[in-house]
Amino acid sequence: MQIEKSSEWKEGLQKRLDGELEWDNWTLYQMCYDVEKRKLIPTFYGLQSPKYLPALTPYPHQLEAAETVIERMNGKAILADEVGLGKTIEAGLILKEYLIRGLVKKALILTPASLLNQWIEELNQKFHIPAIPFNKKYDLNLCNIVVASLDMAKRSPHKENIYNQNYDLVIVDEAHKLKNHKTKNYEFVQSLKKKFCLLLTATPIQNDVFELFHLISLLKPGHLGNFETFQQVFSASKHNVEEDEFLKELINQVMVRNSRQHIGLDWTSRRVQIIPLEFSDKEKEVYKLIANSGEHLQAFSDAFTVMTLKREFCSSKEAAWLTLEKLVGKCQGAEERAYMDELLLKLQSLDLNTKAEKAYEIIKQANDKVIIFTEYHASQTYLQAFLYSKGITSVPFNGKFNKSKREWMKQLFKEKAQVLIATESGSEGINLQFCHHVINYDLPWNPMKVEQRIGRVHRLGQEHDVHIYNLAIKHTIEDYMLELLNTKIGVFEKVVGELDDILSEYRLSI
Amino acid sequence: MISLYPKQIQQYLKTFFTETNCPIVQESDHHITVQLTIDMDKRIMNRPFYWSYVESTGSEPKSAQLTLITDKNRMGLNIPGEIVHYGSPRLNQLFQVAKERGAFVQLFEDVDNPSAVQTVLTPWLGVNYKITYSSDRTKEMLYSLGMNLMTGAVMDGFQEAVSELKLEAAIPPNTFYLPYIIKPSRAMERLEQLIDDLIGQDDHTWVEEAKVRRERDLQVLEYFYKGIEERPESYEMEKKAIEEQYETKIKVDVINGGLFYVR
Repeated sequence: MQIEKSSEWKEGLQKRLDGELEWDNWTLYQMCYDVEKRKLIPTFYGLQSPKYLPALTPYPHQLEAAETVIERMNGKAILADEVGLGKTIEAGLILKEYLIRGLVKKALILTPASLLNQWIEELNQKFHIPAIPFNKKYDLNLCNIVVASLDMAKRSPHKENIYNQNYDLVIVDEAHKLKNHKTKNYEFVQSLKKKFCLLLTATPIQNDVFELFHLISLLKPGHLGNFETFQQVFSASKHNVEEDEFLKELINQVMVRNSRQHIGLDWTSRRVQIIPLEFSDKEKEVYKLIANSGEHLQAFSDAFTVMTLKREFCSSKEAAWLTLEKLVGKCQGAEERAYMDELLLKLQSLDLNTKAEKAYEIIKQANDKVIIFTEYHASQTYLQAFLYSKGITSVPFNGKFNKSKREWMKQLFKEKAQVLIATESGSEGINLQFCHHVINYDLPWNPMKVEQRIGRVHRLGQEHDVHIYNLAIKHTIEDYMLELLNTKIGVFEKVVGELDDILSEYRLSI
Repeated sequence: MISLYPKQIQQYLKTFFTETNCPIVQESDHHITVQLTIDMDKRIMNRPFYWSYVESTGSEPKSAQLTLITDKNRMGLNIPGEIVHYGSPRLNQLFQVAKERGAFVQLFEDVDNPSAVQTVLTPWLGVNYKITYSSDRTKEMLYSLGMNLMTGAVMDGFQEAVSELKLEAAIPPNTFYLPYIIKPSRAMERLEQLIDDLIGQDDHTWVEEAKVRRERDLQVLEYFYKGIEERPESYEMEKKAIEEQYETKIKVDVINGGLFYVR
């Protein structure tokens, strides 16, 4: 094999022998040799990075994950720890290790815009890695470690500029944003050259096993075969994973997943319960009108509209009102209009929201900080007013808030308010370990979203048991949603591994 | 080797700044404040605009003072300064400066010789090598070799041996040295040959292992595109990435070295 050498030192020596340059200092010479000796990487194995990071104390599972990725997975892996176990720390350790070993010079980190600053801060402060935020004014040739938002990076002309760089390591945070292989996100990451690559997601499967197939094909095309063969073997039905042991084995070759239960840390427990509720008679009446509206109203004839309305009404009349308002104009004929009027009138006259009352009860009983998650902005506003009328202070939170507003709301919640009411998009990137109660006021379709919500609170640093209350109205669409969520959890567990309780401690039988 | 402790870093900094002629303004067991020389300021403080301003206006240059804290926890006083530890960018920078300024030496052994007999010193070329093996992993080795420039005899562990001696940059009194017979450039060639031999004799299963990993990954990739006649661009790119990832390399660097006249 070719041995790489430089003649630079030899030439320097000659210049000194010829008297052109001065000789150096003996003490500095010795110091230099000592440092080199200390910095020596004497083996192919193990991690060098921890000794350069005395201020950081990684957990054993994080060190193990970093080592596994480098040694067993050759630097191409999905880091899929459960939410709150420190995937960022693992990624930082791996990046640092490759930088120390000289295997990575240039790295690109892609994140959601809301997490960009957090990454910059952590890499610089915790890992002493001089990462800088992507900026179109900077010359990428001169920036070695760049953090960019995926949304920005995938657009022209940034996309082309990034393609022109030769990155040794690509890290994608919240990589479930790449689950759909027909999106721009996917195409962009697919077109990047990936010598070493880390995909970070707590939820590698959100709906079906094909999402994981596409994620792995991004990382290591062919690992699960090509799409046709994969489909043949694993898709008897989308939700029934056959040959799962074999699949699991393959997945374990490219994925690290630590779960709370298995990392041997003294975790506080998760008390999860489904709280089944019964609508009041008046509410039942309205629900029935909505459920049957498809038969009476032309505008409601598609199943999706009715389903949406059902879900909204299970949340609050305010949420349903917004959708209904848009449909009023579409009613044709006296009969239809009469049906609609009755619906609107009955909806308007409702003076009690069973779910909100229950939420209030829980808050009062908890007598502590509580986070309420809802799918709907209208419910968020309603709940805030409702709680205010009961003398409970609350702050809103959603993903559209910019960084300083997020921080401000978090601060207000910590110091002033008892309740934080968040919409779905608010469930990434905030850490609220000081709170121990979560109410899922309504449920999303995707179980991983529920996990993300709970993960805001139940993460490293939590010192108390965490209580999760999942509110669901009996004999409504929410029954069906619970069932579907359970099925999806089943798929996830068969393929990826156990999931901490998110719906209840006792699984419903499917 | 393990990490450097705060106490060792404190000692390192003190020696470093003393040897680079930067006066120590204030120090405790846990911190040090130094007055940088103009030269050192330009090298480590990263303020090119200030220096070009000074040079263009001809105003009096004022080099900076630098305070480094090695053990924040034990500092009783609240002195503003940079916290340094093993792995911190500042310390890495100083390591780099030490490397630049400690690359070539010419030294003479100072033999404490009370008799009137003159001491005769023999010339050696000493070179410290670092060898790096790399694929998707790395491993490094240090070799400190010395060659007697009279006889051609080679010694391993040269640095450890000479660091026991009292060495001076100028020739001590009542001492004289033999001029070398083997030219340093020739000796250098022979040492390099020796390094090549050492590498040649080493166990290189790591190369085979990397090859196996590469082949496996290439096969997986082929499987993904099986039956596709026109391979897309992403195929070529993935293939290139795999080749680069497992490419095996051996590199030899000289850390430092020089002429040693010893008894």
